[in-house]
Amino acid sequence: MTAQAAALTTEVTSVPDRYREATIRDQVWLFWCIPGFFAVFGLVFVVLARVMPPPAPGKSSAEIIEFFQAHGFTIQIGFVILIIVTGLFNILNGLMTVHLKRTTHGKTFAYAFLFAQTVGVTPGLLLPGVAMLAGALRPERSPELLVTLYDMTFLTFVGSLGCFVTAYIPLIAAILLDKNKIFPRWFAYVSIWNLVTEFVAVPVFFFRDGAFAWDGAISFWVDTAVFVVWQNAILIQLFRTINRQPPGMAYPD
Amino acid sequence: MSLSAASESHVEEFWADKEDVPGEKAMWLFVLGDFLIFSAYFVIYLVQRAWDKQGFLDAQQHLDINLGIINTIVLITGSWFVAWAALAAREGNAAKALSLVRLTMLSGFIFAALKVFEWSKEIKAGYTFTSNDFFGFYYVLTGIHLIHLVFGLAVLQIVVARLKKGVADHRLVETGATYWHMVDLLWVLILAFLYMLR
Repeated sequence: MTAQAAALTTEVTSVPDRYREATIRDQVWLFWCIPGFFAVFGLVFVVLARVMPPPAPGKSSAEIIEFFQAHGFTIQIGFVILIIVTGLFNILNGLMTVHLKRTTHGKTFAYAFLFAQTVGVTPGLLLPGVAMLAGALRPERSPELLVTLYDMTFLTFVGSLGCFVTAYIPLIAAILLDKNKIFPRWFAYVSIWNLVTEFVAVPVFFFRDGAFAWDGAISFWVDTAVFVVWQNAILIQLFRTINRQPPGMAYPD
Repeated sequence: MSLSAASESHVEEFWADKEDVPGEKAMWLFVLGDFLIFSAYFVIYLVQRAWDKQGFLDAQQHLDINLGIINTIVLITGSWFVAWAALAAREGNAAKALSLVRLTMLSGFIFAALKVFEWSKEIKAGYTFTSNDFFGFYYVLTGIHLIHLVFGLAVLQIVVARLKKGVADHRLVETGATYWHMVDLLWVLILAFLYMLR
């Protein structure tokens, strides 16, 4: 163990024994909220609101009105649930920040990662949710307005993946420069795949059909496949990192 | 028994002083995964091209194949320098490896400058990202390739920083070389699929 690592893992001797394991136990409990969040997320998007996989951008106004009328109630139930649980996504960011701060270059990178992730969550989850809820509230409103809300939902939901690009840069840098070996290096490389494929989500703002539209083979399917791999990777290595830390860890401020 | 034991010990002896792969193992995982992602992009490109072959061929006429080939030569030259740098690092010659890696980085900067020049030429001629499906693929594929190249320059800068300290860390140089060869190979595939395929 390097001198820096030793300094970071100093045990807090004044803490009573029964609390020493508590940090790890708390983090493990919090950790399980994240797969829970993704289960609810899948339920809302796939089963209730029927917006995943996304319907085609090229739908006619009549089809869009039909979409809001057919799924209005489940859209409302689904996105109301999402509004309540969205904050749980930040447990992932919080746990990652705690452990990124243990890396040798971590302090600044950890906060850069945290806030950049948070920027992505707003357009990625809340904006499409609110746009869908606004459409479902008055399905009888004029077709142009419903089409606008429909576009807004999917442009923000798929296109906002571009917002996460800035979060991955400090994450990758913190892991590759780290000498404490808090996170495995392969995770940094998996994050590069995710970074590059999420760049390719941005063309959804330009295309109404083909591979780069919001339901396209490249902008949606490849992107989502790599995102699922990355999301599993971050959960697996975060779980290992939590369990590998020494009991009674003192965290850097 | 004796024969298999003898051949096994022979194999072990052969591998005793050798590493599994040149450079870092995780880098090879990255390279293989990246090729998988690019393969998906190429397959999607070929499918969409098959749906509108004439449209893609007409649009392809407006690419500058000469610039494409010059860029290929620039990148392959850079790859040759970085392979040579890995050999120098294995011999423990940090100074020689340092100048060779710097030459590779120079080739990367030339490639990027030529690519930006090529894009501006296409945009001036009126072929933008949304002109047609072919140009959508052209800008996306060359764009993410350029992002890979910029990452590669960052990786090589880390290698340069280590070599400057006089440390001929051949594993690190090999890791950088592995990444750079991937950038090179991806470009050759883009050249074949976008510029040359008839």
